[in-house]
Amino acid sequence: MTAEIRSSDQHIIERYTDQPGRMPLDLRRRIEQRCGGHPVQLYALADLDAAMNLSLTWLTLGPRQIAVASQPAGLGRSEIRIIERERIGGVREAPGLSCNVLTILGKPGEPALAVVRYTHRQRRAMENIVFLLEEQIEGRDVLADSGDGSASRDSRRDSSADRLGDPEYVEGLAGPIRQAQAMVAKNELAVLWRLLAYLVPYRRQLTIGMSAAAVITLCSLIPPYLAGFLIDDVVEPSQSGLLPVDEAARTAWLAVGAIASVYVLRQFAAWIRLRLMAVLGEWVARDLRTDLYEHMQKLSLSFYSRKKTGSLITRVSSDTDRLWEFLAFGVVDVSLSLVMLIGLACVLLTLDWRLGLLMTLPVPLLCWFIYLHGEKLNRLFLRAWRKWSSVTDVLGDTIPGMHVVKAFSQEDREIDRFNLRNRDVTSEFNRIHTMWTTFWPLLMMAIHAMTVGVWAFALPRLLGTGEPALSAGTFVSFLLYTTMFVAPIEIIGQVARILNRATTSAHRVFEVLDTEPEIVEKSTPTRLSPIQGRVSFENVTFGYDGLRQIIRGIDFDVAPGEMIGLVGPSGGGKSTITNLIARFYDVTGGSVKIDGVDVRDLDTGEFRCQLGMVLQDPYLFHGTILDNIRYGRPDADVEQVIDASEAANAHDFVCQLEHGYDTIVGERGHTLSGGERQRISIARAVLGNPRILILDEATSSVDTETERNIQEALERLVAGRTVLAIAHRLSTLRRASRLFVIEKGRISEQGTHSELLEHEGSTYRRLYEMQRELAHAV
Amino acid sequence: MNSRNEKQRVAVMRHTRDLMPSTGFGSARPKASSALTLERRVDGQLWASQRDKQLPVWVSRCFPWSEPSRFISLRDTEDEEFALVRDLEHLSPGSRAALEISLAEAGFVLEIIGVESCEEEVEIRTWVVRTRQGRRSFQTRRDEWPRDMPGGGLLISDVSGDLFYVPDTESLDSKSRSLLWAFVD
Repeated sequence: MTAEIRSSDQHIIERYTDQPGRMPLDLRRRIEQRCGGHPVQLYALADLDAAMNLSLTWLTLGPRQIAVASQPAGLGRSEIRIIERERIGGVREAPGLSCNVLTILGKPGEPALAVVRYTHRQRRAMENIVFLLEEQIEGRDVLADSGDGSASRDSRRDSSADRLGDPEYVEGLAGPIRQAQAMVAKNELAVLWRLLAYLVPYRRQLTIGMSAAAVITLCSLIPPYLAGFLIDDVVEPSQSGLLPVDEAARTAWLAVGAIASVYVLRQFAAWIRLRLMAVLGEWVARDLRTDLYEHMQKLSLSFYSRKKTGSLITRVSSDTDRLWEFLAFGVVDVSLSLVMLIGLACVLLTLDWRLGLLMTLPVPLLCWFIYLHGEKLNRLFLRAWRKWSSVTDVLGDTIPGMHVVKAFSQEDREIDRFNLRNRDVTSEFNRIHTMWTTFWPLLMMAIHAMTVGVWAFALPRLLGTGEPALSAGTFVSFLLYTTMFVAPIEIIGQVARILNRATTSAHRVFEVLDTEPEIVEKSTPTRLSPIQGRVSFENVTFGYDGLRQIIRGIDFDVAPGEMIGLVGPSGGGKSTITNLIARFYDVTGGSVKIDGVDVRDLDTGEFRCQLGMVLQDPYLFHGTILDNIRYGRPDADVEQVIDASEAANAHDFVCQLEHGYDTIVGERGHTLSGGERQRISIARAVLGNPRILILDEATSSVDTETERNIQEALERLVAGRTVLAIAHRLSTLRRASRLFVIEKGRISEQGTHSELLEHEGSTYRRLYEMQRELAHAV
Repeated sequence: MNSRNEKQRVAVMRHTRDLMPSTGFGSARPKASSALTLERRVDGQLWASQRDKQLPVWVSRCFPWSEPSRFISLRDTEDEEFALVRDLEHLSPGSRAALEISLAEAGFVLEIIGVESCEEEVEIRTWVVRTRQGRRSFQTRRDEWPRDMPGGGLLISDVSGDLFYVPDTESLDSKSRSLLWAFVD
């Protein structure tokens, strides 16, 4: 059971669900009072009533009673019904599309003791109660309680403190949301600050880059001013004879030289800025990728079963790339656009405040229009992405399954399906293009209208018919400045989109970084080297999703060197047992012990070095056969590799390959056959010289000839080790010292092959006879 | 009961196929409409009786959306099929009434009558809706889109697996229609 409430879960419930974050304290106290002071140990909410309306009915479990408390919609007190647990004859859960019905049965022939209905949201919390009631019915009471008044102790605790059952309820409710998005509770600003913190190690480069960008902005403001100066103070006085030509030429060339110098300085600053910021962004992206990948190596397998591989790859690749773009250019562009707009407004208002107001007043309005346009585009993009995903769905379906498409001659149908969706998505994207191609010319038209407005107001003053007079130079400067408005307005208008994209990517990256490994190493773990190989399960319970118990109380003890065969129907829990031995997952109840030490207390890395696994679908990495064989022991020399390969019956076929052990096996080893891949993986296990060996359907997917080869290799491999072997073909387990039949998360039968066969009607005997019949039939 | 269940009832009236016990492949199943009886017993469970065998069952629709009133699998406590009801029409009125109660529970989904908000967040989409059963907020994964249903309407599945059904998006108020626009063809 869950030990404590995660700090963010309470927040998730408050923010994302509209149901109580915990059971109301006064109701809990009333129930405990009615139950003679016994504490509420677990509780769940049944959120549907008999008429299928959303409602609040609490189901609680105590050591001796269960209680059903219906909370009325108004202010009335809850109606509480207490049921003694000893009266419970069974529990039946009928799952539906969105309504699950839990019937708590009395003794045979008696009316149901209670019927509660609830949506899937409540199912995890409800499953905890169901599991314990089922255990009780079968004579195993997991939450035994002395009934010594612990309820009063629990109820006296501070009202905000966690009480019995709170963590399980909160976990059941918040878990699915947290798993969909680990960082749901973080706000945008915090994410942005966290991202910008990655710039701190590069503050020197950042300062220089920002300074260079500031120089660019300042330099941009100088040429229009000098142009106005040239017209008003040089060209016009010279043309009207007020300034000697020589002096005018000297001043003019000086001004032109100054303009040229400003441009050179501007481009130099641009070079510094681009160079530094691009490199800096790349460094930050590199740091993020390194952090991400290192952290991903520490995460538990459950994390990988929850997340799609493509999504994780995207976070390390595309998301960090997008963050590079934001840090290298977005941060500077946005901040300098703001500076540029403010600078331009100041300069224009200084040059001529009347014309300046004409140009600056509409700017906030334009930014607002751009923002609104962005919001509308987002809506269109949402629709287009939906259509786009339907196109990629077809590709994802048909390309890996092309042999099925061809085998059923469905190419034309698939072409039609694709074309339909392709046409759909094209029309959505065209809708987007229609929108932005209409908007931007309109926006430019508005800016041009402002310029025309400036002309209309300025002309009388330029011609001397309006007051106050306006010099041609000032007006030219003004016009040049107005052209500089467009770029920063465009960027400021897109700030929301730029920030949104960056924070989304940052969220996705930090979500992985903030996921805590579920397998946590003790600060001072026990080191067992070498291990003897004793494997013990003590009342182990486990479920992958907290919803369904896969292992329901398993006990066994395997002596060092013993070979155990795990048999039984699919889904019974055989592979889960091996996953728990390897500590890929932690048990939810009981303990797994190696040489008498709980695996949770062991140094996991050192322990796994002494554990070998040969799986049904061996995984080979892209690389040479040599690299793959010594994957677990990169320091092994080639002699050892050949020895291991010979023991695995792999040496001969490797030598027949053109490049021998240097053959590249391709992604996942696709250039080799299934049997060849399996033998490479056995060689890898042999080289590791494990004390405990797990064989999970090692020969199930190969032909008989290959199976014989692999079987020979395995017989050499298992000698002197503790072995747990899963096999559907019972003949492959003939060497096993004991066999465990695993059904519905429990060991239903155990013994030697002959002992199990002696039992009339045993599952093992039935399986054995079925296989024999099949063999005879063939 | 909600309108979807009404539709199911109408569909039930349309189909008049046989009721078959689950004894093998469809074509080999003998007609046994009279052999199977269903009743709600005092213990609150749906009991199925066929020949000399009777046991509590729960129901699972084989085609909950495309054929909601046909092909109903009756499952025992071991989750194995006890019988396959091909059509409700051929059950006795009593059996049919008993089964319909279970079907209403098994086929229940929350029916959306208005959308108050739909916000995009990182990885998830948060909805606040008014349903016929009450107000509810829920989350969906951003890469899981609402699904167009064979009989019309839109089905939204949240991160817990609860289903929210919009029978007719056109009948919603304008704000709801606008919020759903991106998800409706």
